[in-house]
Amino acid sequence: MTSVVPVLNDSMVAEYLERFIAEELRSSGFTEASIAVSGGLDSAVVLKLACDALGAAHVHPVFLPYKASSEESRRDARAIVSLCGLPWTELDITAMADAYVALEPGIDRLRTGNLLARLRMAVIFDQSKKERSLVIGTSNKSELLVGYSTWYGDMACAMMPIGDLYKTQVRSLATFLGIPRQIVEKPPSADLWTGQTDEGEIGVTYDTLDQVLFLLIDQRLSPEEVAQQGFEVGLVQTVERKIVGSQFKRVLPPIAKVSQRTVATDFLYPRDWHA
Amino acid sequence: MTYTVALAQINPLCGDIAANVAIHRTCIEQALDAHADLIVFPELSLTGYALRDQTFAVMRRPGAAEFAPLIECSRNVAICAGFVEEGEDGIPYNSAFFADGGALVHVHRKMYPPTHGMFEELRFFGRGRNLSVFDTRFGRTGIVICRDLFHMFEVSTMAALGVQLLLAPSAMPARGFQGDELSIEHTVQLAVGSASTLLGMYVAYVNRVGFDDGLGFYGGSMLSDPDLGVIASAPRFETAQVLGTVDRTHVARHAYQFPIHREEDLTIVRHALDERRTQ
Repeated sequence: MTSVVPVLNDSMVAEYLERFIAEELRSSGFTEASIAVSGGLDSAVVLKLACDALGAAHVHPVFLPYKASSEESRRDARAIVSLCGLPWTELDITAMADAYVALEPGIDRLRTGNLLARLRMAVIFDQSKKERSLVIGTSNKSELLVGYSTWYGDMACAMMPIGDLYKTQVRSLATFLGIPRQIVEKPPSADLWTGQTDEGEIGVTYDTLDQVLFLLIDQRLSPEEVAQQGFEVGLVQTVERKIVGSQFKRVLPPIAKVSQRTVATDFLYPRDWHA
Repeated sequence: MTYTVALAQINPLCGDIAANVAIHRTCIEQALDAHADLIVFPELSLTGYALRDQTFAVMRRPGAAEFAPLIECSRNVAICAGFVEEGEDGIPYNSAFFADGGALVHVHRKMYPPTHGMFEELRFFGRGRNLSVFDTRFGRTGIVICRDLFHMFEVSTMAALGVQLLLAPSAMPARGFQGDELSIEHTVQLAVGSASTLLGMYVAYVNRVGFDDGLGFYGGSMLSDPDLGVIASAPRFETAQVLGTVDRTHVARHAYQFPIHREEDLTIVRHALDERRTQ
């Protein structure tokens, strides 16, 4: 079955996103960008876009492995960093993570995953301060919508260039950008334990997930209407539950209104605020 | 019977009037060097678009001192520029002024500030209630701001009122990246083409570029000739200033060869609306 997710004009998308990165950085008064690279598709695409937008000299990738990270992740991260002509920086987070894990013997895989994502966030933000740079996020639309990301972890950043592209669209863009095939074609993974894959965790392939999301979100179809298009009812309902259940990650925490003007409620300024 | 129009496809800074006046002056100097007769800037060119609560801080009367240098420049080239107007009623409007001969000639208030999806204009702006049709040295002129252009009933009415030159400043966000052109570009081309080919006007559509937060404006400004279609166009995404020549004889010739305006019978429309009202 041909996917219902639109095939984008990757050349035009790349130009647009590169302009977005350059302008958002400039309008915030920065020239440098820091990016946590994982060896996966999303960070490879964002790194390449940032290099094309800013010039490699202004981009600072950091690889942040934990002891459970696979050698394949390091190899692929090295491949994309090298392709962009950038120096290799690796900061192992095992010691800081395990210092906490030792205090919590019963910690499970989900909590560990969130802990690692938040430690990586703390490190990349510190690195960004060192480099006087902004952190560029690597979240895509699929994971933002189903909440397959850690709040204040990998979601924390100054901008999200590919946040409105579904994973399958990111894959197409990656091919256009010349990202190595081994990165484009490998199963996406948070790489928290051996054999972990996004699709195994979410319970559906990105190809199917993106179509369901596209119909529910972009086309505003009801779950029943999506099911009528040939998608399994239970799956559509699960996806809808994931979207609704992760809404808290996509908004600022609610602020109890007391005064006449409350941040986020009626104190409304653009991020690009030039007074 | 010819004159030159400069389409100033700029990237205004959000909320910084002084910086934007400087950008305008640079563009005006370029236009003067090119012997342009008229320069058209995008929607809210003097303030930026996604202002939100900055609206209150940047609203100005059309005669504000900050705009005086631009009005003065209009001694040498007519200028259409966008700003947040502080109405005599105290309400902020999304407006565009037309200045010529060193004087303010007309101010248009956007009639249809979009308020849905990514747009929230009516949260901050009042709504203009009048079609802008006024006489200039370029013939009968009209102004529509961005969404106004999509309201074909209003644009058709302006044609019925004899508008020959339609100025269409815009801040149109990019979306729909399938295909060789953006889907919104296609929509704009339909609107501009309809006004120009079917209604017989020159249309100067000027869109901005750059980003206000995540909204990216795509540019693609163009001058459309009733006879020849698009005769000048600016690139996508980049700042640019392009020139186009208006030949006023084309308006008359087009009207003679393709006499939509002559055929037009607004009593049919009036009758239909009256019938509907009485049903």
